[in-house]
Amino acid sequence: MTTTTLKLNLGPQHPSTHGVLRLILELDGEKILSCEPDIGYLHRGMEKMAEQMSYIQYLPTVDRVDYLAGFFYSELLCRIVEGALCVELPEKVRVIRVMLLELNRMASHILWIGMFLMDLGATSPFFYTFREREMILRYFERISGQRMMYNYFVFGGVRRDINFLEDVEEILSILPSKLDDYEKLIEENPIFIKRVVNKGVLEKETALNYAITGVNLRASGVDYDYRKQDYLYKGFDIGKVILREKDSMARYRARILEIKESMKIVRQALDYLKKSSPLEQKLVNPINLKLPEGDYYADIEAPRGIASCFVRSTGEKEPYRLKWRTGSYYSVNLLRKLLVGEYLNDAIAIAGSLDIILPEVDK
Amino acid sequence: MDWDKFNKIFEGCELLGNKIHIKSRLHEVIQFVIENYPYDILKEIIAIHNQDGTVELVYHLYSTVDEEDLMISICVNDETDSIVDIFKSAEADEKEIFDLFGIKFKGHDNLKRLYMPENWDGHPLRKDYIQDDTRLCWNDDNDS
Repeated sequence: MTTTTLKLNLGPQHPSTHGVLRLILELDGEKILSCEPDIGYLHRGMEKMAEQMSYIQYLPTVDRVDYLAGFFYSELLCRIVEGALCVELPEKVRVIRVMLLELNRMASHILWIGMFLMDLGATSPFFYTFREREMILRYFERISGQRMMYNYFVFGGVRRDINFLEDVEEILSILPSKLDDYEKLIEENPIFIKRVVNKGVLEKETALNYAITGVNLRASGVDYDYRKQDYLYKGFDIGKVILREKDSMARYRARILEIKESMKIVRQALDYLKKSSPLEQKLVNPINLKLPEGDYYADIEAPRGIASCFVRSTGEKEPYRLKWRTGSYYSVNLLRKLLVGEYLNDAIAIAGSLDIILPEVDK
Repeated sequence: MDWDKFNKIFEGCELLGNKIHIKSRLHEVIQFVIENYPYDILKEIIAIHNQDGTVELVYHLYSTVDEEDLMISICVNDETDSIVDIFKSAEADEKEIFDLFGIKFKGHDNLKRLYMPENWDGHPLRKDYIQDDTRLCWNDDNDS
């Protein structure tokens, strides 16, 4: 009897690929022998585009690098410009940005919980998480006019003063009980436990070697959170979420705990903003904005790992070169290693647990 | 890191801020750095096409132990060493640079187009990339 392996195309149009990701799997029975991710279906040329646009023209487009965490990428570009021009942010702007970033992180993680559960075959949690995420998106819409592509951070400050703080208060009062509901609904489910515990174990050394950052790295036991060194978060008390189990379950737990930590940060910001005086800021004039010659680099702790932006300026209106680093790009590369030796039906669960979002991968 | 010791072993290096610019022996330098200092993540490789036609590669290392960054840069023409055997994450970065800048990495066995179609000519992020390419949608008018 001759035995041959089977090549299986997973995606690009598959509901659990969170966008358009194609995985070419080589199977022996149901066991995965190799995995080759094929990306590029969503490539929009974000980096090439930057070279033909002035900084203020480029700013509204950067939310699209990751449409679930748009604030983070606007913040990165603002940080580059503010750093280059040595602009110091007023304290209130800093706190507004921290609050919105953390709310954005919560929205992103909440959506992930729904998506992950849907990957595992449970449809109803998806609708519950969308209901909670909707509260946050509605708040973003009230302050910025947009649900996902905010364009709210501008060079030197924010577009307008923060408002509707009672909405944030409401989110903070409703969300904890909903998170408890999720935990009851999800974590006591034997099918869920069977599909995530001890599946997709990511050792610390592998994670570092594959440049995995963010929640996935912390779920493998490495204490690396860029927010600790971030000047924006100065004065905020940021809790540590580090787990030792290293499997899909740890990555799920880490995200639930991170939402809770983010809520604490939002609470600190909210208390400050309630007492603060009206916003006074000095924005950078974006007309004919030119950065001095040199290299600029900025990092941020985005929901899917460290995101960074590199800009080389030759003193022109447009950047000479602009490069994005996104967390998901490296998570996709990790699939090559992580899926080998697993069963096909676990592949989706493991890929889902890494929180890959394709616009971020393809840029 | 100990700059004097480093400079003695790899001659002709320049220290520019937190960036070390090297002339050659990229693989050896990276190997030396990770063996002697606790740099454990290769955050990314940044490529920049210079006006003089060379491509500058910036290797961005980070240490989770002492929370320090280190940049190592090198200018190459069209070929250089791959460091996939040291950092697996370089596999992804090198593929991207091959696609967008046309740099070949010796020792990387899976170099192929990533974002662009397989039969695409040219490398879009190079400064000498054709701008009046009729395959690009904004140049459609040139057809008629």
